[in-house]
Amino acid sequence: MKEVTVFILFGILILLLPLILKSPYQMHLIIMLCINIILAMSFAMLFSTGLITIGAAAFWAVGAYASTLFVMNLNISFWLALPLASVTTGVIALVFGSIIVRTPGVAFVVQTMVINMIVVQALGQIDFLGGWGGILGIPRPNPIGPIKFVSKTHSYYLILFLLLLTIVLFYALYSSRIGRAWRSIRLNPRLAQTLGINLFRYRLLAFIIASVSAGWAGSFYAHYFGTIEPGTFSVFKSIYIQIYSILGGLNFYIMGPIVGAFIMTLMPEFLRVGKEIEPILTGGILVLLVIFLPGGILSIPERISFFPKMLQDASSSSRG
Amino acid sequence: MLRPVAGDERCGLKFVMTLLETRSLSKYFGGLAAISQLDLDVCPLEILGLIGPNGAGKTTLFNVLNGFQKPNEGRVIFKGQDITGLKAHKIAQLGIGRAFQASTLFMRLTVFDNVFNGFHMNYKEGGWRSFLHTPRARKEERNIKQRVMEILEFMGLAESKDQLAQNLPYGHQKILGVCIALATEPTLLLLDEPLNGMNPEETSTVLDLLNKVREKGITILLVEHNIDAVMRICDRIVVLNHGKKIAEGLPREIGNNKEVIDAYLGADEEVDGIVS
Repeated sequence: MKEVTVFILFGILILLLPLILKSPYQMHLIIMLCINIILAMSFAMLFSTGLITIGAAAFWAVGAYASTLFVMNLNISFWLALPLASVTTGVIALVFGSIIVRTPGVAFVVQTMVINMIVVQALGQIDFLGGWGGILGIPRPNPIGPIKFVSKTHSYYLILFLLLLTIVLFYALYSSRIGRAWRSIRLNPRLAQTLGINLFRYRLLAFIIASVSAGWAGSFYAHYFGTIEPGTFSVFKSIYIQIYSILGGLNFYIMGPIVGAFIMTLMPEFLRVGKEIEPILTGGILVLLVIFLPGGILSIPERISFFPKMLQDASSSSRG
Repeated sequence: MLRPVAGDERCGLKFVMTLLETRSLSKYFGGLAAISQLDLDVCPLEILGLIGPNGAGKTTLFNVLNGFQKPNEGRVIFKGQDITGLKAHKIAQLGIGRAFQASTLFMRLTVFDNVFNGFHMNYKEGGWRSFLHTPRARKEERNIKQRVMEILEFMGLAESKDQLAQNLPYGHQKILGVCIALATEPTLLLLDEPLNGMNPEETSTVLDLLNKVREKGITILLVEHNIDAVMRICDRIVVLNHGKKIAEGLPREIGNNKEVIDAYLGADEEVDGIVS
């Protein structure tokens, strides 16, 4: 019962956040946090099949640019462009994925990174896509009645909806036979094959779903921020996305990204460090994590429960 | 496919329908033949022992049979269907299960979840329904959880169902490997040294289990170094040396085969069980 109470209180807090946080800048941070959580969850989904990507930002970019082009060139509503952009991202993920998913391991990591670079280069070089200067003046989501999406509060509820949608969708997947097949592949690909699991198809499925979710995060981002430029979607961003997930805990496909993105998005604000120092800090955190806490923050309780046992073992062996 | 099977006097039949057969199967690594021109027949419901000195090509044969490696020559026919060169998951779907030599398990999952994951192929409801958690899919999931427990009880692992696989004793890990393979509901089970590293007591437990598995209608192809155990449990034995079949027959025939004794004495002088 206690857990349910905490859960409900937490839910109310999230819903009433715009009333608590007065400054638009704070709301902006929370909105970016929600986007980062979705992106980190898309990284975690690929990790759940044993694949590591440094290209998550590429599909975020595809979603953002596709949505922008649909709205600005075809003059369609944002509410239609969002699903269309997600589908576009999925199709592009299908094309790239069916090539690269066949080679897991280091090859996959490098290939995703290269794809990320190609996408950024293409966005920068092709004038039709706005070039290095990016696209300015992207219209906000079309108003629904009185909700005009001008204020941060409205945008917050929209991204919150997308985030919850992603969480529910991913949770349903992880707890289904699809999720179990993914876990089998990650834990032991050889054994998984002898269980009749088609590694290629299940990994491709994860690649597409992960990319689609990054796609709708991108679509929201473009229309929320109003401008997009290729630099935002660089490999650097992909590495950050990876760190969110590692920091939270790679074995926690949903809570890990939430905790990791929360800390990484808000910490620089609390520490009030400059943009120049932030990457150094991030790199330092990653190194420390890999050495001292490879299981991420969420693995701490597990570790603590191990300590007393270790002490017991040590004392009993010294006695014996 | 009806074929004459050498030395099969068990059921008094000259012709037996084979479940699995290989015809001039060869697999080379560089210039070295791990398997060469191998003709092997596995009859339905038998326990066929595959023995031979180290490096005789037994594990390679398993890798070719279950699709981990492609043969360079020859054909593999299972239930009358040519399965040569098919991918491992396809072959698993056709009904060849495999338990591994090393303890290849989902180490960080519980015993229960190990077997639960093994049921991947045996869902009737598709992935879409499972994702939507429809009532039918949930009912099927409960049903499969029951079947997991049935397998664990059958193999005597029910008590350790909540333990992590990595914390199991070695003997139990090997049994768990067989449980996972059983969860795929195979017609033919490839067992790679299931008795390796077991004491005599554990060995006879596992031998009893294998007999029970066969009674469930599962054919077993067994690779094993423990010659005594192979002699006790197998209906027929095939002896490999340097990737070639050097003998085939009933256990007592193999025990008196000059070539087999030579191969073993040449490779490993401590194996004397074969002479007696």
